[in-house]
Amino acid sequence: MIEIEGLHKYFGTLHVLDGIDLSVAAGEVVCIIGPSGSGKSTLLRCINHLETPETGRILIDGQRVYRDEVGGIFRAHSNRAIAAVRAQVGMVFQHFNLFPHLTVMGNIIEAPIHVLRRPKDAARRRATELLEMVGLADKATSYPEELSGGQQQRAAIARALAMDPKAILFDEVTSALDPELVAEVLAVMRRLARQGMTMLVVTHEMNFARQVASRVVFMDHGKIVEEDAPERIFCAPREQRTRDFLRTVLDR
Amino acid sequence: MELFKPEVAVANLGPLLAGLLITVELTFAVIVLSLPFALLVALGGMSRIAPLRWVIKGYIETIRGTPLLLQLIYIYYVLPEIGMRLSAFTAGVIGLTLNYSTYISEVYRSGIQAIGRGQHDAAAALGMTHALAMRRIILPQAIRIVIPSLGNYFISLFKDTALCSVVSIQEVVFTAQILAARSFQYFTLYTVVGVMYFAVSFPAARLVGYLERVTRRGYRRQP
Repeated sequence: MIEIEGLHKYFGTLHVLDGIDLSVAAGEVVCIIGPSGSGKSTLLRCINHLETPETGRILIDGQRVYRDEVGGIFRAHSNRAIAAVRAQVGMVFQHFNLFPHLTVMGNIIEAPIHVLRRPKDAARRRATELLEMVGLADKATSYPEELSGGQQQRAAIARALAMDPKAILFDEVTSALDPELVAEVLAVMRRLARQGMTMLVVTHEMNFARQVASRVVFMDHGKIVEEDAPERIFCAPREQRTRDFLRTVLDR
Repeated sequence: MELFKPEVAVANLGPLLAGLLITVELTFAVIVLSLPFALLVALGGMSRIAPLRWVIKGYIETIRGTPLLLQLIYIYYVLPEIGMRLSAFTAGVIGLTLNYSTYISEVYRSGIQAIGRGQHDAAAALGMTHALAMRRIILPQAIRIVIPSLGNYFISLFKDTALCSVVSIQEVVFTAQILAARSFQYFTLYTVVGVMYFAVSFPAARLVGYLERVTRRGYRRQP
């Protein structure tokens, strides 16, 4: 469903993505792990064009997205076309990024109404179902500031789901949470994985990766060092760098 | 000899209040026009189109580098020489709007830039175009942030309308000048004018202070 080919991205002289090739099939849960600064988040942000890679291409359902390449020169798609692709790929952020001036309900129905042009009552009905699913049925009229971090993140997941996305990108979604609030967010994500949602998950939660992922990708210095089934990555990694990384994070 | 003569104050209260009404009308006309105009200036100044940014920059620098008093005189006395004859009130409204819009546009700009990257990212990730994100997500938050600053500028505007006396708008200061020229009751007349300005400005400043406390409280359900 998502294919990434030869992605290179620089921040100044820093080579943050150094030739990434990755493909994700429908229904797969791919967890991306690796030390901070390894390019995991940047890779995720390239997939919905929040970052523009220098070279490489991204295909969604076999379609080249965001730009074309004619004779080695990139020609960006129109802003409207880029927005239309983004509407099909959900994203959940480390710092939630809920809209503080809208209620939880307002946050969820905003894009379905103004981007997908769904009727207001249909959007509300769907939002109510989603709030039920993430356990926030009683928080529809609350503002984000009134919620705990875990509740805000579950609302953000509901907001992404309201667009009926083909896939959702999770960018370290539990890293900003107090430890006791991590589980409630992971529980929602497990449920989505069971329901067959295609998910790309950048995470430091090794247990989640081990139990939920269909595939784990280990990144370091802008490269994919190793990708494999979770039991293989965690029990018998082939690469020394993977072993070193896992030892440091699992020995805590 | 007593300086303040209550009977003079009472006798001239009618014309002075009429002048104050013009002052207030002038203020509101400029508020209503400069709120949207300054937003266009702010958005134009942040545009990706370079020539538009240069034009806006040039306009802002010109206005800021010259006195408001001169701008008013220019619009009322100089423009007719190139065939643009405006009524005094219109000239005053245009001059004040052009002047205040440059400052208010900077207030808007600071408010827009205060909205973090995360809000832009979240809006974009939901498939919103830049214009939609601006209208639905960024501006509603930015405007709320800048409401107290806008209030302070408008109080200052209310007092600056006194400069319009030079283009013969019959606002309160001009009215007092005429009355004083006839009766020589400078002390009484200008004291009344001062009290009138204060009577409006002071409660307005309290209101701005209240708005500041409300906006600082953040977004919550009404209790």
